[in-house]
Amino acid sequence: MLNLTRTALIALGLCAVTALSPVFAADTPVPAASASAPVPAAIAAAPAQEPAASAATPATGASAPESAASAAAASEPAPTGSLDDRVQQTKADVIRLNRDLLVLEEELLFPANTQVAVFVSMDVGLLFDLDSVQIKLDDKVVTTYLYTPLEVQALHRGGVQRVYLGDLKAGSHEIVAFFTGKGPHDRDYKRATTIRFDKSTEPKYIELQIKDVQQKLQPEFDVKVWQ
Amino acid sequence: MQRSRFLPQLGLLAALVAGVLATAGARAADDPDKVPADPPLHPVLDPHYGDVLFEFYQGRYFPAITKLEVSQHFERMQHHADEAEILRGGLLLSYGLHKQAAEVFEALLARGAPPSVRDRAWYFLAKIRYQRGLMPEASQALARIEHRLPEPLEDDRRLLQANVLMALGDNAGASKILTPIAGPKGEDLFARYNLGVALIRGGQVAQGTAILDKLGQQTMPDEEGRALRDKANVALGFAALKDEQALDARKYLQRVRLEGIASNAALLGFGWAADALSQPKAALVPWLELAGRDASDPSVLEAQLAVPYAYAELHADAQALKRYETAIANFQTADADIDATIAAIREGKLVEGLMSRNPGEEMGWFQTFRDLPLMPHARLLTPVIAGNEFQEAFKNYRDLQFLGHNLADWHDNLGVFGDMLATRRQAFAERLPKIREQGLANGQDIAHLQQRSDDNAAALKQAEDAQDGVAFADANERELQQRLKRVTDTLANLPPDTDPSLAEAHDRLRRVAGALAWQLAHEYPARVWTAKKGQQQTEDALVDARAHDEQLATAQREEPAHFEDFARRIAELDARLNILAPRVTALATEQQAALQEIAIVELKAQKERLAAYTAQARFAVAQLYDRATEPKEGDHAAKP
Repeated sequence: MLNLTRTALIALGLCAVTALSPVFAADTPVPAASASAPVPAAIAAAPAQEPAASAATPATGASAPESAASAAAASEPAPTGSLDDRVQQTKADVIRLNRDLLVLEEELLFPANTQVAVFVSMDVGLLFDLDSVQIKLDDKVVTTYLYTPLEVQALHRGGVQRVYLGDLKAGSHEIVAFFTGKGPHDRDYKRATTIRFDKSTEPKYIELQIKDVQQKLQPEFDVKVWQ
Repeated sequence: MQRSRFLPQLGLLAALVAGVLATAGARAADDPDKVPADPPLHPVLDPHYGDVLFEFYQGRYFPAITKLEVSQHFERMQHHADEAEILRGGLLLSYGLHKQAAEVFEALLARGAPPSVRDRAWYFLAKIRYQRGLMPEASQALARIEHRLPEPLEDDRRLLQANVLMALGDNAGASKILTPIAGPKGEDLFARYNLGVALIRGGQVAQGTAILDKLGQQTMPDEEGRALRDKANVALGFAALKDEQALDARKYLQRVRLEGIASNAALLGFGWAADALSQPKAALVPWLELAGRDASDPSVLEAQLAVPYAYAELHADAQALKRYETAIANFQTADADIDATIAAIREGKLVEGLMSRNPGEEMGWFQTFRDLPLMPHARLLTPVIAGNEFQEAFKNYRDLQFLGHNLADWHDNLGVFGDMLATRRQAFAERLPKIREQGLANGQDIAHLQQRSDDNAAALKQAEDAQDGVAFADANERELQQRLKRVTDTLANLPPDTDPSLAEAHDRLRRVAGALAWQLAHEYPARVWTAKKGQQQTEDALVDARAHDEQLATAQREEPAHFEDFARRIAELDARLNILAPRVTALATEQQAALQEIAIVELKAQKERLAAYTAQARFAVAQLYDRATEPKEGDHAAKP
């Protein structure tokens, strides 16, 4: 009986302790190193350390983040600390590098004086189930985009898709956008909207808006030129 | 189930963002229960912020955060500066970047963000501190929240606060906070569960048990709720067993579903409850069911010992002996399986298998495992893989793989950028000077053209001053003038009165000349206007040409510096890339080893359990043999 009691109590004790813990604590992901990660005890016990350089937040709006960041990177030693700390620091470094690379890409390929960006947004959008958008700039097709349900959902929730990024020389231009999808009563629907605009040496942002006109029970397609 | 409760961490953020976009209520500085309102916000005032949301709402958090930071760099989200920072902090937090996220929220607080932003920043800071185990600091951050947060953040704030208090040992305080959201009308099941736990831990056993009991009988709409109900019943059942309340334990445990995360524990406990009531036959029912299940669960292993124990209690010694021997054989097989699994893990099959069977395209903390890896006895790993430690470590590994691919892509792109820049630089160096030289050689330089324009302007002015219609004659009219002149000369050279028709010819000449003069005079105003317009156009075109020429000259002068700057940036970024890429690879290797170690440690614990169970089974077998050889009245079974 002694053995049985012991086994049962071990089982009971373990289960009861596990069961009577708050759910929230277990739900919240905790870095592996802060739990019983298989790292040397001295490291695991040490407070989380991160290199000083990581404290540099991205210099929003700075003219040349690369210089500062690269200087930091050049002098920045490899992160130390637990494995989890080093992984997190490296993630932060890669995110920062991605930002700097994207800035470079945009400045190199789409400089501000020629840049034109076309966005698609949806206001309500109950009267139109978007399938695809085709965009012509100066009578040339520059993009055709087929939407997934997830993307349409993101538009419904307030997302604005940058569907095209390109270059245009200064002067007068024309944009034509064709929207295809399902309209009221589940009928196939294709509509176009067009606008002429002047491109200066500033970036030009054009938003194609899909709206519902409840009075007409029809979707409406507008073009808004931001700059 | 546990993870999925907080999977919507970013969903929460989404709701938060959406809530902010939609709300613009009255300011309630004097009413802490109302959501403080910022200046009214329209849905999206900066399209680039909308673009970030577009990525974010699709769960594409890496593009979301990088696009967000790029647009912040170009200052394209000025209308949503605070919201963008909250979002950035949340995204960093979702990647486990606590330090960076904390810096974002602290900066928001330091720069005096609006109240609602400030409150959310304090909330996220509290969450970060809680996750890092800094409970007093988390409590302080929670105390700085002045107003009610937007739903569903408010409930989560209460849960967080309750958990912080529980961690600080203040279970009574935690139950006080949880009661409003976990009361009779409370919708949040988890809050009720936690409240029950908090009350029991705080010594109010009856109240806590009542809450869990009610939760344990509730009809649940989904699997998550049913799993929580099972968890509550198992908790109550084992607590009752511990208090030797076998009847209560049976009542709670029989509510647990036969299939579910908690079913094995419930079956085991149900058997022990029956045994405690001296009903070994009844105990056999759940234990026999449990003993036939997957042996990776310790409850199943224990059931394999409990079944022969129950047979022995029923004096079925032969069956007990057979079952013990079967159990010993099973334990040995399981032990060998674990050895094979450990060997496979050391060969890297676990991580490779998990990656190939559960591909993911994104970084993030909520990747779930759909399939076990293809490797020997993979089911043994189910409990390990389901563990938080393993999940977190695997998330890191997958993130590192994602980042490794990302850096490799950029490495290729940077090469293309370099080539593009070289081509552009070469074309620029070759073509621009040629174009400018060619223009000069053809007399098409601006100065020459300007001189011609000036000459034209002078001629125009002279003709206009003289009101000289002839100056504006077209080609036909000029030819007609030439013909008239020739006729006039001819007539002048003829002797007078030689021919009577000469007079008529003179007269016709006079009339034609008069008609031409009249026509020129009639057309004069329109032609002057046309000529002046043309002259103006020429001058405008010259101004444009001069501007373009100046741009070309500027470009010729400055563009090489721009090219140099781009080249320098490409080189610097390439250098950073080359530092980070091997670091990511090395960390991935290290992380893989850590993952494997987590699994192996757990499997070794399973081996130890098996060894202990085997020893118990052997001891029980020996006792049975002893009993068979030396039977004594009143002696019953060997105990596992």
